[in-house]
Amino acid sequence: MASSRDELKIYWNKIYYAFPILNDMLFTDCSDEEYQEIQEIIIGLGIQIKIRDLVLVHIEKYLRQHVAPSFWAKFIKVEEEVKGFQLFKSAVNDLYESLKNFSPILNKLNTLNNCCGDNKPIFGERDVLMGFKQLLRATLLSQLPLDFPVIINHFYKISFNVFDNEYENSEMPDDIMCSGCWNESIDCNCAYIVKIFHDTNRKLVELQLLERLTGQVLTNFIQLRIESHIQKVCAGTFDVSHIGFLENWLDTTVMSWLTRIYCAGSSKPQPDNHIVLNAISKFKQKLSYFLYHSYTKLRIDQLFNIVIDYPDSQAAVDDIKLCLDKTDLRSTLCKKLQNALETRLLHPGVNTTDILTAYISTIRALRHLDPSGVILETVTKPVRSYLRNREDTVRSVVSSLTEEGAGSELAEELVKFAVDNDNENDKEEDWDEWEPDPVDADPKVNSCDRKASDIISMLVNVYGSKELFVNEYRTLLADRLLGQSVINTEKEIRYLELLKLRFGESQLHFCEVMLRDVSDSKRLNALIQQDRNFESLNSKFSSNAMILSAQFWPPFKDESLELPEEIKQHFEAYTKCYETLKGNRTLSWKPHLGNVNIEIEIGTKKLDLIVSPFNATLIMHFQNKPEWSLEELHQVMKVPITILRRKITYWQSLGIITEKTTDNYALVDGSEASKPSGSRNQVQDMICEDEETESVMASAHDQREGELQVFWSYIVGMLTNLDSLPLERIHQMLKMFASQAPGTECSLQELRQFLDTKVRTHQLILQAGMYKLPKT
Amino acid sequence: MAQNINPHYASSSNPAKQSEDTIKLKDNHAVSKRLQKELMELMRCADKGISAFPESENLFKWIGTINGPQDTVYSGHKYKLSLEFPNSYPYAPPVVKFLTPCFHPNVDTCGLICLDILKDKWTALYDVRTVLLSIQSLLAEPNTQSPLNQQASYLWPNQPAYKKYLEEFYNKHKDS
Repeated sequence: MASSRDELKIYWNKIYYAFPILNDMLFTDCSDEEYQEIQEIIIGLGIQIKIRDLVLVHIEKYLRQHVAPSFWAKFIKVEEEVKGFQLFKSAVNDLYESLKNFSPILNKLNTLNNCCGDNKPIFGERDVLMGFKQLLRATLLSQLPLDFPVIINHFYKISFNVFDNEYENSEMPDDIMCSGCWNESIDCNCAYIVKIFHDTNRKLVELQLLERLTGQVLTNFIQLRIESHIQKVCAGTFDVSHIGFLENWLDTTVMSWLTRIYCAGSSKPQPDNHIVLNAISKFKQKLSYFLYHSYTKLRIDQLFNIVIDYPDSQAAVDDIKLCLDKTDLRSTLCKKLQNALETRLLHPGVNTTDILTAYISTIRALRHLDPSGVILETVTKPVRSYLRNREDTVRSVVSSLTEEGAGSELAEELVKFAVDNDNENDKEEDWDEWEPDPVDADPKVNSCDRKASDIISMLVNVYGSKELFVNEYRTLLADRLLGQSVINTEKEIRYLELLKLRFGESQLHFCEVMLRDVSDSKRLNALIQQDRNFESLNSKFSSNAMILSAQFWPPFKDESLELPEEIKQHFEAYTKCYETLKGNRTLSWKPHLGNVNIEIEIGTKKLDLIVSPFNATLIMHFQNKPEWSLEELHQVMKVPITILRRKITYWQSLGIITEKTTDNYALVDGSEASKPSGSRNQVQDMICEDEETESVMASAHDQREGELQVFWSYIVGMLTNLDSLPLERIHQMLKMFASQAPGTECSLQELRQFLDTKVRTHQLILQAGMYKLPKT
Repeated sequence: MAQNINPHYASSSNPAKQSEDTIKLKDNHAVSKRLQKELMELMRCADKGISAFPESENLFKWIGTINGPQDTVYSGHKYKLSLEFPNSYPYAPPVVKFLTPCFHPNVDTCGLICLDILKDKWTALYDVRTVLLSIQSLLAEPNTQSPLNQQASYLWPNQPAYKKYLEEFYNKHKDS
């Protein structure tokens, strides 16, 4: 019994001798022959499996207690990159060395395992060596410290700098500092760094630790580099395409650096090493996606500026177009651009014309970016709805349409349309080039509409209808025709023809009549002037009438003005002549419109003026009687006193009339008038200018008011019978019951304004949010 | 007589009648259209002294207002009425009632009106406007032959007394 125990003890010692790891040691003198004997003993005892497992347990314990902690101990947070570089290098080196020491044990274990014959996988792997590596990785990663990426990052940063430098160095060879390692050029460390770098990587690859340990850090690092590279290269310039350069940079610099990491220094991977090739190509896919992604993101952030610069920034738009297909950023693009437009454009501080310009270049740029028009539609939705709320939008559009000279893109567009229209046939033949709409397209909209609509129609569509647009054009045209004494009808006709091409004959028929009125008036004037009956009456002054067909002109602002008797007689004579010329027709005068050429002689002073009929009438009354009170003037001219008071300042500013006492005006006598003060003259210029600049036409707003009157009878009916109603109910009821009436669409806000005017004129009472009729 | 029975209220015991009902309901759209048109007409003409408007989104229930006719005991008073249109309108008359209490020979205490054109003399040619005008003229010239309100009928020939009573009547109602 004792002998067998002794025997066992001897055997046990021998096993210890062969596998010192059981005593937490790595070194032994045990030679292969000795081991062979020991193994036979083990097999003889039939405990080979148990011994193998025991050894593995001890290896694991050793790794856990010694190798891993000493490896991770190097991973501390250091600031200097060089120190980090060194630390990582030595950590990897030490690990590599200490693992080398395991190889005798592993060899023995391998032979032992071969005799076990139970085919049990070792840590999931087939043979001992692989199992060991697996074990090592598991142990290391189980003890991962918090700050481990820091020095890895340093390590790769330094090496990348060196590497990046190799490519760019050629440009600045005489730099004092080596831009790779930040040492002075004389003792440049680059070569050393490169050597260490490749060495370390080779070891990591050998231990199969490269991807596990550094993969994440490496990816992060490269992504950071890509981002900063893009920022560096692409900031602020939109007129060059960058994507080619960036792809090239990724290929040459980043990818070849990565290849070197994986292939331990050689720039070309061995063609048969599929694992490495696979890893590299996967990495490349990831990185190029990232490249596109971050480039597009950068561009999207700048998109507002790109869009504003558009024809100049075409290269950038092309880049985005290319990248959008490769990334999933369409919706981000829409959202961001929409936001940018909203914050930078759509607020009261921006001129309507500026918004329109931006809108036009947005249309152009996005058309180019996305020919299907879907992005454009989404992005510009808020712009359209904002423009709809601006009062002067139509006016701006129309005036820029008809503006001459540089900067009026719309006018050019209009002409271009006329040209394009001619060669727009055979488009239908392209059926085999049909492409489906993008997924984010609004299915309700016909894709043809989206594509076909050009800039002008997009602007016109802001309002949803051509009608309003054409109406505003009519008002502007009327203003222009009446405002100028010499009318260039040819130019107007040319524009009208262009507009007709776009909006159709019927819409612009009214404008056509207006223009014809102008030329007809010229002819009629000439005829009437020659009329002998008229001539006899026409001794005092000459007149030219503009004869307008009332139905076709926009409504005029109505102002009352009673003309002096002699003028009236003159007009009557004119009317008579007209009636003889044109049977069945007569004239109804608009005395407050037009211009009067007058000559004033007062003392030694002589004035030649073109004034409004109003002012002319006013001064004519003073011709007969030098002193007037406002009340008297009101009697003869039938004009409200407030307006009289305002208008009379014009003559005061000329120094012709003074206010003697309150509301009593008198002509300045000749001697005084002949020495006007300088300041007066200045005032005169100022006042002359702002006089009558406002349109004589009833504005679109006023016209709308007229349309709203239709509702008034409904509102009265409602309130008579239902006593009092809140705004919302009135709006709702109108929508329900008054929808057949013309000019029907009426927003809540519009209604509120309308009702408020009624409240102001005491036709309504607003009490606690309820409208009601005043008691009669 | 048959045209004056509102199929909506008539009992629908036999299936034939029911199908007729559904036909009438289908016709609903035509009725709405007609009422809509009448409303438009009414708003356009804006007769003095009469007015009517749908009470809510329901086009079949209106509120009307009649000013008491000039130079009568009723002048200066304002009367609210309710008008309910059957689905068979205009082939059946609307049901018209006074909402404001009205002391009148042909109006009962519940506001029901005895007027031939609202009953057997109704034809599709009448509309809201004519109905209201008829009621307005009924106020001026009551039919004392077939009174609903006996007291008013007795009092009517004596206009000053009638007027005095009327004032008291309204003062009383104003209080309550």
